[in-house]
Amino acid sequence: MLTAFATLLSHYKRHPGQLAMLLLGLWVASALWSGVQAINASARDSYARAEALFTTGLDRLERRDGEPLTRDDYLRLRRAGLPVSPLLEGSIEAPDGTQLTVIGIEPFTLPGDSDFAAAGTAGELTAFLTPPWQTRVAPDTLPALGMSHREAPGAEPRLAGLVEGRLPPLILAPRLPPDTLVMDIAAAATLLDSGERITRLVTAPEALEQAPEGLVLTRAATLVSPGQLTESFHLNLTAMALLALAVGLFIVQAALGLALEQRLGLLRTLRALGVSGRGLVGLLALELLLLGIIGALAGIVSGVWLARVLQPDVAATLGSLYGADVAVTLNLPWHYWLGGLAVTLGGLLLAGSGVLWRAARLSVLGLGQAQAWRSGFQRQLKLMSAAGAAVALGGLALWLWLAWQPPGEGLLAGFGLVAALLLASALWLPPLIALLLAGLGRLLRRRPLAQWALADLQLQLPRLALAMMALLIALSANLGVSSMVGGFRLTFLDWLDQRLVADFYLRPPVEQHDDIHAWLAEHDEVAELLPTRRSEGTLVAVERDTDTRELALPVGVYGITPGTALLPSWPLLATRAGRDDAWQAFAAGEAAFVNEQLAIAEGLAPGDRIGLTAPGGEAVLPIAAVYPDYGNTRGEVLLATPELARRFAAPPGSIGIVLAPGGDGAALRTGLRQHFAIGGDELVDQREVKRIATGIFERTFTITRALSALTLAVAALALLASLLAQARERRLQLAPLWALGVPRQRLVTVQLAQLGGAAFVVGALALPLGTLLALGLVAVINVAAFGWRLPLHVFPGEMALTLATAVGVALAAAALPATKLWRAPPRALLAEEAT
Amino acid sequence: MMRIAILAALLAALWLAGCAEEAPPGETAGFAGLGQEAGDFAQAHEGIRLSFPEDHAAHPDYRIEWWYLTANLEDERGEPLGLQWTLFRQALTPPDGRPEPAPWAADQLWMAHMAVSRGDTHRVAERFARSHSGQDDGQAGAVAEPFRAWIDHWQLATRVDTSDAPGDSFTELQLTAHQDDAHGGFGYDLALVAEGPLVLHGVGGFSQKSADGQGSMYYSQPFWRVEGEVTLDGETRAVSGRGWLDREWSSQLLGPEQQGWDWFSLHLESGHKLMAFQLRGGGADGGDYRSGTWIDPEGEPTALAPDEIGMTPLATQRVAGREVPTRWRLEIPRAGLDMIVEAPHAERWMDTSVAYWEGEMIARDAESGDNLGIGYLEMTGY
Amino acid sequence: MLEFRQVYKTYATPQGPLAVLEGVDLELRGGESLALMGESGSGKSTLLHLAAGLDLPDSGEVLLADRSISALDEPARARLRRDTLGLVFQQFHLVPSLNTLDNLRLQARLAGRDNAEWSTHLMQRLGLAGLERRYPEQLSGGQQQRLAIGRALAPRPALLLADEPTGNLDETTAGEVLALLLELVREAGSALLMVTHSAQVAAPLDRCLRLTHGRLGALTESGLMEPGLTQPEPSRR
Repeated sequence: MLTAFATLLSHYKRHPGQLAMLLLGLWVASALWSGVQAINASARDSYARAEALFTTGLDRLERRDGEPLTRDDYLRLRRAGLPVSPLLEGSIEAPDGTQLTVIGIEPFTLPGDSDFAAAGTAGELTAFLTPPWQTRVAPDTLPALGMSHREAPGAEPRLAGLVEGRLPPLILAPRLPPDTLVMDIAAAATLLDSGERITRLVTAPEALEQAPEGLVLTRAATLVSPGQLTESFHLNLTAMALLALAVGLFIVQAALGLALEQRLGLLRTLRALGVSGRGLVGLLALELLLLGIIGALAGIVSGVWLARVLQPDVAATLGSLYGADVAVTLNLPWHYWLGGLAVTLGGLLLAGSGVLWRAARLSVLGLGQAQAWRSGFQRQLKLMSAAGAAVALGGLALWLWLAWQPPGEGLLAGFGLVAALLLASALWLPPLIALLLAGLGRLLRRRPLAQWALADLQLQLPRLALAMMALLIALSANLGVSSMVGGFRLTFLDWLDQRLVADFYLRPPVEQHDDIHAWLAEHDEVAELLPTRRSEGTLVAVERDTDTRELALPVGVYGITPGTALLPSWPLLATRAGRDDAWQAFAAGEAAFVNEQLAIAEGLAPGDRIGLTAPGGEAVLPIAAVYPDYGNTRGEVLLATPELARRFAAPPGSIGIVLAPGGDGAALRTGLRQHFAIGGDELVDQREVKRIATGIFERTFTITRALSALTLAVAALALLASLLAQARERRLQLAPLWALGVPRQRLVTVQLAQLGGAAFVVGALALPLGTLLALGLVAVINVAAFGWRLPLHVFPGEMALTLATAVGVALAAAALPATKLWRAPPRALLAEEAT
Repeated sequence: MMRIAILAALLAALWLAGCAEEAPPGETAGFAGLGQEAGDFAQAHEGIRLSFPEDHAAHPDYRIEWWYLTANLEDERGEPLGLQWTLFRQALTPPDGRPEPAPWAADQLWMAHMAVSRGDTHRVAERFARSHSGQDDGQAGAVAEPFRAWIDHWQLATRVDTSDAPGDSFTELQLTAHQDDAHGGFGYDLALVAEGPLVLHGVGGFSQKSADGQGSMYYSQPFWRVEGEVTLDGETRAVSGRGWLDREWSSQLLGPEQQGWDWFSLHLESGHKLMAFQLRGGGADGGDYRSGTWIDPEGEPTALAPDEIGMTPLATQRVAGREVPTRWRLEIPRAGLDMIVEAPHAERWMDTSVAYWEGEMIARDAESGDNLGIGYLEMTGY
Repeated sequence: MLEFRQVYKTYATPQGPLAVLEGVDLELRGGESLALMGESGSGKSTLLHLAAGLDLPDSGEVLLADRSISALDEPARARLRRDTLGLVFQQFHLVPSLNTLDNLRLQARLAGRDNAEWSTHLMQRLGLAGLERRYPEQLSGGQQQRLAIGRALAPRPALLLADEPTGNLDETTAGEVLALLLELVREAGSALLMVTHSAQVAAPLDRCLRLTHGRLGALTESGLMEPGLTQPEPSRR
């Protein structure tokens, strides 16, 4: 058996290129897969840790007037029997500039349902509660503190700017989120010098029926849960990684097929020499396993590298998009390694199963093989068409099912639909190309070389089909995803432009609000002031005509000032009786607007009346308009600011400052600082906001681009592998043509034209498919994930780029075999014929 | 894990049963760490003179302390009810290691248990808090004059207005505690009037707890007349009956070998009161250590020596997955008593962070079966 | 039609240079048929490749249709080949992607001399009528060889070069195919240069030459131009 195995492997000694191609395919596929998985695993771990830290799981109480709560408030509420727990939050700067969040907790009253209970390591409570206290910190925060894992436990890092100069002794708590220090509230109060002040009170979800007097209750359910939100982002990445894996396996399939085909004779000989069919399959499987392990391990290692390269961008994107803290360093659980290996080996087995099947059915005499392939390929094409139709039907069924789902549901089904779309198109590609070639061949009967080229391409189709499918998928995904991200960016930035009409946004301290407002109103530099207010409310009733529906939906209530600067640009999606009418009613306090999310979720339309309760009052108002509210996951009701103040006693919020033409922003800033001691934090330049938003999208783009470029590169590799695999055979077919008097130059040109043309067709098919994919992403997946849809943007530039990429990729892949043909000495062509 | 850490520390504050097998051997000197060396803490010993009202307040220099109230009640239709309210204190640091008083700084931990029971129904709640011994405005605490012991909105406080004439505010108390739960909530609001004097156990209030001399300061008020309202599963009823308050503090309560106890407090029809306990293990020759006080109707105590108390479990019942003795023979020859003391309802498991059994008992004459009295039994370590 | 003038050809091999042709002179006139015989490895195929312009001589001259192939660039040689030559290979070299009829007409079409009548005639004469829509791999060996001959003759080339055209066929079939080949060559008016190692195959042709030690000689009665051909030739591969 060992001899037989060595004999089998000796093939690769003669053909190291094939071995390289096989390993390359496995390597690239598993690298992309495991890289993305590494990012996902690491990010998920971060969320799990963040969620364990009561950021999302608990209801919170804050003072209505925006003043900080104190220990007395806490004691008063406890003595009234309310199950509240104090939380002190602050930030300190690490030696390397990282902002560390300090969280002080009161472990006795912190609700047990919050996972914090599991966040610490077992340690003596006394040590946690009494000086010098303890700092619980995740190991991945240690670098920011300039500590190694080994020296950290018990260390007391010295930080500049601390009252005491040192942190309490460190205790490692791996389940804490990164850049977070958790300690007893007494320690945190000392560290932050916060005296009696606390940041907020928390309670177990739904523990309180209503907010105590003077406080605002924010339900955990209404807080953004990064887990939910980012799930779609990760699903996106996973889908991309799977795609890359599939494309990579195309390469493997092609290389394996060739390696088998060229060894058919050898296999027959081995069979004739007495190796059993089963033994032969076993040997081939062993060979697969060996290759798989080598490829997968190399892939996983490179995947981790890839993840490390992409991770900072991913972390930054998630951080700014969803407010989810993600560790910048990788944190890989053990199952990640095993999973990566399993997926690669599984994929390899799938790709190699055909080869093993053929080896198992290998006839010793090798008769009747040649005649069968043509009808075999025809059968395969029919099968592909049928399978494509079946997948398309499945996709249709999913789509119909999705149409019945409420928004925000069916994310997985949405991805299923997109996958079905891609798969069906890929399956239909070879039959379509075959049909196209047959038709063109008939048209070009009079052009012998063209006819030959088409017929020849048809002959190559079985070999190239897989690579073409891979190319189609990669191209469509590339186009679809960049259309979506591009569209998202366009829409969002547009929306920002419309919303951020003021030049500055000022968040004055509550007690200074009125003074500052008055001061600003008299200032010559200022053209208009746009104050806002914000409150939490409950949507209690919806009236349409005479029907009244009762409900209890927590909503945000937001007040804006319909000033002259804001009015023309604030977008409205639907109105009761035109824009002017809507704004008039809004400004007069006779109507409210609702955001798109709320309208979709509750089936609201302009003209409906909504009953709204909020601390301080209740109101029934007609809906005058629905407005787009990208990026928000919550339902929101919009009122004119004075109305919000009058009806619900909402605390004052930020003030938008529109400068007069030629107004000097710097002077205003100086004035505010001199009169009210208002520094940089409270006054935000609108341009700064836009710059940050643009930055976020640029990073998202970077990741998406990197991943889709890599996928495309893999597809190109698949094509190259297929072409190289058949290069020798191709030369044998081209040699007689050359002998018949077709110059080599033309043969090379014809070859390139063949592939370029085929790729062009694939690229052309990828255009509608990619657009459809983008539509699926914005209209199905986005609705399922976020509850609102994005307008579909079509980017002709992207499309042209896709076409060019398709042809470019094909020509690049064809270049190597063509050069080989070009370089081959004429005699070699015929010499090959002699062997 | 944090929870477990909290529990591990609180174990040491409890005169209760625990999960000794979960804690490392080094920490389980005696039951639940109650046998730890007193170290830098103040030490209970014979000869300390109790002084009131000061000793009603917390003794932060000692490691552990409690205010432990039980009551046997009846509603207007004569149906029996039981209740328990307990406030436990544990010092986090010895007196010389206390942090400076600061807004959240703590050197004392507090835990409270409440229970209401009627028939097979038994509702239990638990609370935790921290305080600094230098401040008496915290989330929990106990002050002497005017008397108040509290955690959050649960409190036992004087009803005597001492603002004009300072005096003993401990004779009339109000007990208030409520807890929401899935059954509609439970709690009580009760007036307590002392119908007798305070009773000092052991030798002038020093109660020995093992043969080698470990012990605690221990006094009781067993003569409470209780009137008020009890709410159970959302239903409030007027009640009246008798209450018993135990006050105890120490820094090293147990001998290192003691692993649990059975503790009786009985109101006898004759007007006598009986306190008797046995600590399993830690007696002479490794036997059980018994002690008790026989109190006459005027409140005059007679300390009972270990060999003057007979305490024999007769039958067990399965409660919360454990075999718990719910029928006892209690013999006090000196008082001419031979009693069968039995729990009418076995489901009195305190499913708190440290679990134990605490429930109403009925005492009958062992021979005649005549009703002799009612009371409470606490059993730990099962 | 075809002329070799003192043609020398040497190949580099791992064992050192190998002289294959050492001053070959040959002349073939239009319509004439010539058999070229020789042992395996005697350089017959090299001579044929030079005649077809697939390879170039080291020295000397090969004139095809009065044009020196060395003076032409590759595309020009390819065109010359397309316009003047028909090639029949031992391994047929049919184009697998084209059906029988398209294969037959391929070179004629490439050369722009496709003649439907002649093609149909050839199909019939070659016994391939009715098999037009079949693909090469669906034909028998004899049919494939006849198709290869038909493809070479379809443009009525001035010169047909055939390399062991019957080498892969059994004796009976070989005889039939050869007879047909000669008949059709005559019909097409082409000259013929055929490489064979079989005297029986060579016999019906106008002339017969033998390649030994890189030189050409006429076939003597004994079948050997020069006696003493015992010196082993160095192996070419």
